[in-house]
Amino acid sequence: MIKKSNLFWTFNFLLGFALIAFACQTEPQILSTPIPPLESEVADGNYPYTRLSTYGFFEGNVNKLQPAEHVVIYQPASSLFTDYALKSRFVFFPEGTKAKLVSDDLEFPEGTVIIKNFYYPLDFREPEGERRIIETRLMVHSSNGWEAFPYIWNESQSDAVLKIVGGQTEVSFVDYSGKDQVVNYLIPNKNQCKSCHNIAEQMAPIGVKVKHLNNELEYGSGKINQLDYWTSIGKLEGFEGEAAHPAMINYADENLPLNDRAMAYLDINCAHCHSAEGPASTSGLFLTYDQTDPMKLGINKTPVAAGIGAGKYKFDIAPGLADESIMTHRMSSTKVGVAMPELGRTTVHVEGVALIRDWINSMNP
Amino acid sequence: MPKYSLLSPIILLVFVASCSSSSNEQTFDSSKVARASASEVEKVVEDFILVEDGGIIDIPAGFYELNTQLIIDNKTNITIKGAGMDQTFLSFKGLQSGGEGVKIVGNNIVIQDLSIEDAPGDGVKAQHSDGITFRRINVTWTNGDKSKNGTYAIYPVQCKNVMIDEVIASHSKDAGIYVGQSENIVVKNSLAFGNVAGIEIENSDNAEVFGNTARNNSGGILIFNLPGLPKSDGGSTRIYDNDVIENNHENFATPIGEGPNGNTVTMIPPGSGIVLLAAKEVEIFNNRILRNKTFGVAIASYQITGFPDEAPNWSPYTSDIYLHDNQYDRSEGFPDLTRELGQLVSIYNAHGKARTQDIIYDGIWDTTLSETIDTNPMRICISEPSMSELYFSRFVLMNGEDNIEAFKESAPFQNCKVEVLTNTDQLTGM
Repeated sequence: MIKKSNLFWTFNFLLGFALIAFACQTEPQILSTPIPPLESEVADGNYPYTRLSTYGFFEGNVNKLQPAEHVVIYQPASSLFTDYALKSRFVFFPEGTKAKLVSDDLEFPEGTVIIKNFYYPLDFREPEGERRIIETRLMVHSSNGWEAFPYIWNESQSDAVLKIVGGQTEVSFVDYSGKDQVVNYLIPNKNQCKSCHNIAEQMAPIGVKVKHLNNELEYGSGKINQLDYWTSIGKLEGFEGEAAHPAMINYADENLPLNDRAMAYLDINCAHCHSAEGPASTSGLFLTYDQTDPMKLGINKTPVAAGIGAGKYKFDIAPGLADESIMTHRMSSTKVGVAMPELGRTTVHVEGVALIRDWINSMNP
Repeated sequence: MPKYSLLSPIILLVFVASCSSSSNEQTFDSSKVARASASEVEKVVEDFILVEDGGIIDIPAGFYELNTQLIIDNKTNITIKGAGMDQTFLSFKGLQSGGEGVKIVGNNIVIQDLSIEDAPGDGVKAQHSDGITFRRINVTWTNGDKSKNGTYAIYPVQCKNVMIDEVIASHSKDAGIYVGQSENIVVKNSLAFGNVAGIEIENSDNAEVFGNTARNNSGGILIFNLPGLPKSDGGSTRIYDNDVIENNHENFATPIGEGPNGNTVTMIPPGSGIVLLAAKEVEIFNNRILRNKTFGVAIASYQITGFPDEAPNWSPYTSDIYLHDNQYDRSEGFPDLTRELGQLVSIYNAHGKARTQDIIYDGIWDTTLSETIDTNPMRICISEPSMSELYFSRFVLMNGEDNIEAFKESAPFQNCKVEVLTNTDQLTGM
């Protein structure tokens, strides 16, 4: 074993390859991004801070992720897949401010910060048990619009440090079926955030939208519609009740119709790029929840700039033929240049692929 | 002689595959360049993130091994500058996520004097940019196995005012220089070789392509309009003073032995000089279209792909084409047999089996305009000085696969001209 490992290292060194996930399933060989030592920092109001803890978003031990005052938990109806990472999400509203709901869009006050923590339980069968937080991404709303800042957690889990160039780290966990898994987790660089968080080249939130939040969440004291809750604590105005605004479903809910689940999955995982205002508008493939034009959905649509991503296939979706569709081909790959989405995924989302396969296979050829 | 010789003092043949129809030629040798340290690499990544409007990103000589993307995010008046195409190398061989090596969004951006290698997707992509200049950049892949290469080398899309000047693009699996869904475009004095497509202008308006060399690609220069895109149909392209030479490279857009997939470029037969597909208003003149083994120029409608050919605000027909005063040489071997279009030429052309053609026209026309093609309803105008010596084939494909015919009669397409207007004044000074 040791000999094999040495050979492997030599090979890598010679070729100057960065390590890739699937080569590393058995031995810990990921070059984790080094985290600089913590320096003391004062919360002087000049964002971004170097240390996550400086913001004061969390009470007590930062790694408990217990929200402080003005920090409100949220959860979108459907979740964007990020290598099986679990996420805990919050919005920080500056004191005395509130968001506005106008024409089914949320308008946030200056100083709002969306906080998203990515973590892995050591054992997914005990999601509340011991965990490792990998990164925290902040989206800060200033007079210039939204800006994103990636923070990487240190090994002792005492704090996270701003790292605009991003990084990588190896994560080991036991999955839901009890199997050991290793993921080469990639933390995007600051400008890569915009590859997804992009509406007409302006930075924009993905999950913090009316349609994703117009549903019930457990707040400890009972379930309540998230936008209703925000209203009740004085953080939102303009919400006129659940029925008055669009709402997305949770694609993971198997009791719901297949078509709706598939569209919800494509919306939260793909539509931030694949929409008329997104970076993938070049493709003509538009995957928003409300899309009904078969060509824009990819049905019998030839690719444009897919290159190697097209595999052997002619159409994005060959109805009835999931095995001959570029969409499932790209979702099933981890190869850069083939894999979709392009960022945030080094493993295959098995359940997601299964859903889209079923959906394509259910279409009439 | 070719203008690129000014900027490529060293032409280095690193490796020539035993199969004569595939090439791994490299213009520069990056193996001799000093490796940048981890902190030097990180500084480049940081510079791209922190640069402010009006800034210059200087990338000193060195070989930079990047595992993350370099992105310019919505900035204005930025210059990205290397120490020369043979000095500064950005290698994306280790890139682990993201669609392209370098991504540019902004206005008045210049990228110049560097090389980009081995991006898994596209080499350098610019999107939603007004004023984007690519000057003296070399974008290539060094994989011996070309099936691993990326899609486009130089890839402006949805841009306005695009200048591509003295670049070198090689070994991409699709197009070396690809301009898509853009307007006001100049591609000049550049070299594209070893790609599936050398230079491609797609769904774009107002483009001038001149002074370039497209050699040893599967197809030299392609003007396409594809259906179903936000920018639905493009027009007004002038292609002149180019060398379109020996584009006989195997088509490696799909693995050898595998047929075409849904990417249109996978259908291009090796030996294609210039291909017009659903193209509108194109003037092609004063080019040297030499030794492309299948055909010099193909005028084709989208129907020949066999793909669905209906889309809003888009027409599958090629129309308003003016071909004049070009030089041809059909002395190179036999037409391709690996792609349907090559087989069509080989078997059905009007001059005898397995004969290279100078100009082919698929003869597909809009029958709502005319009952017969003899009225030249799509306005295809050919005015070549030595027409009687050229091999011209007009096919008849509209009567089904069992009734394919070809005619050498070119009279209906002569004695006419099409005025193609381009205006690239606003690119002066870029």
